[in-house]
Amino acid sequence: AAAFERRVLRRAAEHHYLRVRLELPDGGARPNAAQFKQLVVTALRELHGEVGAALPVDVLTYEEKTLSAILRVVSSGLVKLWSALTLLGFYQNRRCAFRVLQTSPFLLALSGSSRELVL
Amino acid sequence: QNILTVCFSVGYSAVALNHVIDFKEKKQEIIKPVSPSELFPSLPIVQGTSKRIKVLTRLTLVVSDPSHCNLLRSTSANIRLYDIIAVFPKTEKLFHIACTTLDVDLVCINVTEKLPFYFRRPPVNMAIDRGIYFELLYTPAIKDSTMRRYTISNAISLMQICKGKNIVISGAAERPLELRGPYDVANLGLLFGLSEGEAKAAVSTNCRATILHGETRKSACGVVYTVKKPRKVEEEETGVPACKKAKTQA
Repeated sequence: AAAFERRVLRRAAEHHYLRVRLELPDGGARPNAAQFKQLVVTALRELHGEVGAALPVDVLTYEEKTLSAILRVVSSGLVKLWSALTLLGFYQNRRCAFRVLQTSPFLLALSGSSRELVL
Repeated sequence: QNILTVCFSVGYSAVALNHVIDFKEKKQEIIKPVSPSELFPSLPIVQGTSKRIKVLTRLTLVVSDPSHCNLLRSTSANIRLYDIIAVFPKTEKLFHIACTTLDVDLVCINVTEKLPFYFRRPPVNMAIDRGIYFELLYTPAIKDSTMRRYTISNAISLMQICKGKNIVISGAAERPLELRGPYDVANLGLLFGLSEGEAKAAVSTNCRATILHGETRKSACGVVYTVKKPRKVEEEETGVPACKKAKTQA
């Protein structure tokens, strides 16, 4: 008899992953990876203060050409990070906008996007 | 027009173009709204469905005096061309009048300065019964940090009175970079104290109910969304139950 075991994890996943893109109007220097992380931490500090800035956020990948990145954050901090990115308006006195393309508790889910399907 | 293109790419399915009228200046006349077909010869399709994106027109009246409200009762032909009518009351009396007797779809809540009046439960409950929604803007929160504080504090005080019902979060973007996607805005609702389901409804279901409420204003007694018979256009108070029924059936 084949023995199998079913495990049900009742706690939500530990980390949430976000694929974001920074939109900057053309012209001007583009941030490198360190500056991008600094921008994210600044956004958190502006909205949620020092406690928000201390939230453990990791930049997993960053492409300078397209200004898109994959961020990882603890699940309890997803709302804070997402709202901080939404309300960020300026980068070095230039208007910018963060577009959150995908978010998921699993990193694999970020590889495909159902919005890009052609119906 | 640029802004609209960005809207469509971010994933909205209906957009309303706003026209603000401020009564402090003299000789304000209501202009005909810009017809959406002039801007776009053919509207693009919503992501993921096969329907086209709707572009509606909307009028916002900034009232600071009760005599300004007479305009709403007059049978000016241009008012009827707008799909949604919103009022922006500046004093407590006007807020009370707007919630209880005025024939509008949205009541705008000021987010750029400290509210001069406190919300009270009776007018808010009457507005909820009539099917009027309260609107909060998120664009000032992107521009300035003082306005961020006012936005959040005004939103939280509104939540305490209305318990999260009948809220619409919208943006007044003047540039394409000030726009945010629908899920981002729903997340902002969580910041304001809404629950997750209420926050998503603030961006989707409640907005649709506002559009239907605007349509009921144009018809005689109500609108059933699936079947709409052409009726005589009369300016009358419309019944709310038809609108609510349409929301649950559709």
